[in-house]
Order: sequence, then structure tokens, then C-alpha cells
Amino acid sequence: MVLLNVEGLTKQFGARRVLSDVSFSVGSGEVLGLIGPNGAGKTTVLECLAGLLPSNLSLTNRKDVLFYMPDGILPWAQQTVSWVLTFFEKLYRRAPEKLAELVGPLRLEEVKRARLTTLSKGERKRVLLALALLTPHPLLLLDEPFDGLDLRQTRDVMALLKAESATGRTLLVSIHQLNDAARVCDRLILLNAGECVAEGTLAELQAQANLTDGGLEEIFLALT
Amino acid sequence: MRSPKFLHLVAKEVRELSASRSFWLLLLFVGLLVGHGFITAVALYAEMSGSGGPAALPQGLNSLDGVIVPTWGAYDLAATLLFPFVAIRLISAEKESGALKLLLQLPGTMLSKLAAKGLVLLLAWLIAWLPGIAAIVLWRSYGGHVYGPETLNLLLGHLLRGLLSGALGVAAAALTDVAASAAILTLAFTVGTWALDFIAAGRGGFVQQLASYTPTAALRSFEQGLLRLNALLVIVLLSVAAFVLAAIWLQTGRTIRARLLATLLLVIVAAGAVWGAASLRRSWDLSENRRNSFSAQDEATLRQINQPLKITVFLSPEDPRLTDFEQNVLRRLRRTLGKLDVEYAASSRTGLFESGDDHYGEIWYELGGQKVVERSTIEEVVLDQIYQLAGLSTPERSADDGFPGYPLAVQPKRAAAIFYFVWPLLVIITWWLANKR
Repeated sequence: MVLLNVEGLTKQFGARRVLSDVSFSVGSGEVLGLIGPNGAGKTTVLECLAGLLPSNLSLTNRKDVLFYMPDGILPWAQQTVSWVLTFFEKLYRRAPEKLAELVGPLRLEEVKRARLTTLSKGERKRVLLALALLTPHPLLLLDEPFDGLDLRQTRDVMALLKAESATGRTLLVSIHQLNDAARVCDRLILLNAGECVAEGTLAELQAQANLTDGGLEEIFLALT
Repeated sequence: MRSPKFLHLVAKEVRELSASRSFWLLLLFVGLLVGHGFITAVALYAEMSGSGGPAALPQGLNSLDGVIVPTWGAYDLAATLLFPFVAIRLISAEKESGALKLLLQLPGTMLSKLAAKGLVLLLAWLIAWLPGIAAIVLWRSYGGHVYGPETLNLLLGHLLRGLLSGALGVAAAALTDVAASAAILTLAFTVGTWALDFIAAGRGGFVQQLASYTPTAALRSFEQGLLRLNALLVIVLLSVAAFVLAAIWLQTGRTIRARLLATLLLVIVAAGAVWGAASLRRSWDLSENRRNSFSAQDEATLRQINQPLKITVFLSPEDPRLTDFEQNVLRRLRRTLGKLDVEYAASSRTGLFESGDDHYGEIWYELGGQKVVERSTIEEVVLDQIYQLAGLSTPERSADDGFPGYPLAVQPKRAAAIFYFVWPLLVIITWWLANKR
């Protein structure tokens, strides 16, 4: 079942066109990866979908359907991790068990009493992921969810995202680490210079790039 | 507004406020400013109340002018130079940290999120009042007189002053990218209102009417024990408009064009509402010594005049006679007469270089086709001229205005310890406890 259908998304900053006629759809319960080089327009796509940037896209019930967790933000930096998590838990009326389920895999127990401003990059990222996963929206947009995480943490977060998608939740993730994208995503969209150059599963992308085997890196180099 | 989600937003804003250094600095400095104002005012009041001065001086003394207004003057300064930064911080910190991107997606409208911020700002302003309230309590403990209605009216004036100041800070922070730019914008607005106050003095017409709603001018009428319905409504409307403006510009998902159109619509609606509110003439003189009113007999006589009265004043803005005339006659006439038109006809700012042909120093009164010229600015003389023009006889006036005066020669005991030691210590300890996590 298609949860979100994006048709002809175009975005300009002044005279500079950063997205040109981007179209794709996201099915319910899938993990869709948005990959591409720096400046390809991955974050802009997510911010347009979330309604944080004006665009030609009109989505109804956006606030009920999707939640977007940006990369590189440090919200409410002077507050403790525990308070920020509880704020989201109460605001969205989530059962306390939901928060308990996230604290373990995201290794937040040891930083619960710390202020956000004192956390490392990886710890901040894990707090932001916990906030995103605490929301009840059927579609989550995550910008660089593995950025700043070490190998073990990346594996844990991937497992958590897979488990979340297994419950029927849909994830649209922007990832610049191609190996990570290949491991976690069911389907991929390759963006380059604001255009959607390829879309499909890994096997479908290989076919589009005329490669019999090879990973996402080879596909990326062949198509961009 | 009482939904659990709104209450969670309010709780978040309270946490953010307690984490804001600007709020704690406001509390620290406002205590010192209030203390200085109070100690100086009480000492001066004691000097004026003591023997040695003109005999009539102690009988004219009242606590509002002598102690409470100078003490609470600290809040005018705080509302101008400190409080806007508390408001700016509540918005700018979220813009700069990226929290705004989450806030925009949280449940509730942008206006409800700003309402939560507004409520918490109001709470911050009321907490900052604690030293001012302590000063009033201390004054009462010395045996000082406090007249409830005029004191509450003054507090209302400061509440509105804080509301407008906070709202402007919020709007400035919403319109700009960083806190520093918002601070410059807010200070530019304040300096602009000061300039307007200066330019409008003794000018009359639209400029003077506009200037009567600048924060300083509006507060002045509350300080004089006058509650003007139009000033109250205009400040509330401007504050609400500033919050709506902030809500428009914080919605980053709307195009600049859409936000400009919404702003234009807001300006039109707000201007209409402000114009309507400004035309309301109702006011209440809550001062104990009825300084904003003529005697009851004179008011009753003046109310018999139904024709429009035109007054042409040939006095320059910096002439002290014009100040006297404004304070003692025109302000009261505006409250009493339904149809009054005042024209300020002096052509220079100081009056030093006016030629004799310019009628400098004259005041013309025109009523029912008749005109008289007078030079006096004394209340009784002016009223007699108006009665003559209207064909009314001068009412009986009592020599006693009924105001006993409240001289009190007392030293500000314990005040220095409270404001310079206990209050700062209390602020520092509370800050430490609130931020100890």
C-alpha cells in the first residue's frame, strides 16, 4: 500500500534550482533510502516533505502522517536527556514501555541525567533517534540516522529501525554512507544534482547501471 | 488552552526560562535597580516631609508620586533594556539550535505554541515584580500611605508595559535569524518611540495622538493614576499583533510571498482595531488626589457644554507654560468635554525667536462662533473664560480639595540589606537549585 506519493517535487533557492521534478512513492512498512552525493538535495527533499521549506508539494494531514528528525540539531540543549525524552513521551501520550524499549538499544541509560549540551555527537544522535521513534506517526523521515555512530552503535540502530519497520512503520532515510544504506534499506532512490536518477531495490539498481554484480558504490559511480 | 498538550508546552517553556541566563540576570539587576530607586525616593520623601521647607509642601505629598512611581521606574528601564532579551532568548535559542524544526511539527498550532511562550514570559515578568512588591510592603511597614486603586492602576500599567515589551522581543526574534539582530531591532524600535515622544511634544494632531501610545507615554498616564481605556486596548492589541506577526514568520514552510501577504493583512486588521480602540474616550481617574479631574462642580458645569470648543495654543513645545497648560488644563478638558479640538500654532521649537506678529504666548478659545484670547494657563482663569463663552456661570468652588497629604519623615530601614544582599543571594541560590540537575 502506498503511504506517500511524491509527484514532481521542485525547489529553488533564489535562482538556484536544487530539486527538479523529483517523484517517488513510499510503501507502507518499507525502509526507503535516499542516497546521493553531498548537495544532491537529500535534506531538501525531507524538509519539503516535512513542510519546513516551502515547495510545490501539497500534503494533507502532514502533521498526522509524518515526523521528520533533522540532522545536526541540538534542541533544548540545557535540558537533561531524561526530561527531553519524557517531554516527547507525554506530549504524544506514549506508553512508558515505549520509552523503556528504546533506552536499552540506544544505550541512553548512562546519559539520562546529562544535559544535551554535554553529550558527544553520537550520544546526541541517539537521543534524536529516540525522540523520532517516540512519535506515533506512520511515516518517519530520518536525516543521516547513522552519522556520528560507531560500528556497534550503527548495527544496533539498524536492528532497531528494521524492528520498527517490521511493526508496519515506514521509514524514509537519507544516508550518505552507501554501505549502511545497502544494509538497512528495502529500496533506494539515487539523487544527483537535485534529480532522481534511479529508483529500486539493489538488484534493480544494478540492472539500471548495467552491472551484473557489485555494491552500491559501483552503482553510484556508474549512475552519477 | 487547558489541554494536556498545551500544559506540556507551558512546562517546556518554564524549563527553558529557568535555563535562560538572561532571566536570572533580569531578576538580579531589577532587584538592585528597585532597591536604589526605593532608598533614594524614601530619603527624598523624608526630606520634603521634614520641617524647613515651604509649609504647603508636606500637605501636598503623596506616596504614589514620591515613592511608588520612582521605585517602580526601575521596571520601565527593565522592560526597555532587559526583559526583551528574555523574550528574544525564548525564540532565538530554538531557531539557532534547530529545536524550531521540531517545535513546528509538534501538536498544536503555531499560535498555541507562542501562547505558551507568552504565558511563561508573563510569569517571568510577574516574578521580576517581587522586589517592587517588597518595596511597597516595606513602605507600608514604615507607616507609609498606599492608596489601593492608584497603586493597582500603576501595576496594571507595568503589566501592559512588560506584555508589549515581551511581545516585541518575540516578534523581533521571529523576524531575524540570530538573537543579536533581534536585539538591535528591538532597541531600534525603542529609540524610535523615544524620538516620536520628543518630536510629538506640543505638536498636536495625529503625531501627538500616535505618540500617546508609545510605551513610555502610555505608562505615564498609569503613573498619574489615570486608567485610559484606549491606552489599555491599544497596548493589548499591539501585543497580540506582535505575537501573530511572530507566528506568521516562524512558519518556515510558507513562502516569503505568503508571509508578506499575511503580514499585510495583519497590519490592516491591527491598524483598524487600533484606530477603533484609540477613538474610545472612556477613562477613569483612580488617583487619590483627583489630579486628572476638575472639581466635581466644574465637571458638572463643563458637561453642560454641547458645542465643540476649539483651543489654539501659541506656545512652543519647550515652553514650561505649555507643560503646565497640558498637565493642569488640557488633559482634564479632554476627559470632560466630548468635543474638543486643540491646535498647537507656535512655529518654533523653543519660542525664543517667535516674532510679536505670531501671537506668541496667546491661547485662543472659540465656542459657538465666539472667540476670546487669554494668556493665563491657570486652571480657574481658563475655566472662567470657557464658562463666559458658553454663557454659564462659574460654580461655587471649595478651597479645600479634600486631599490631606501624607508627609512621612522616615529612613529606609532594612532596605539596603533586603535589596542589595538578601535579594541577590536569593536569586543566586534559586538559580543554582533550578539548574542543579
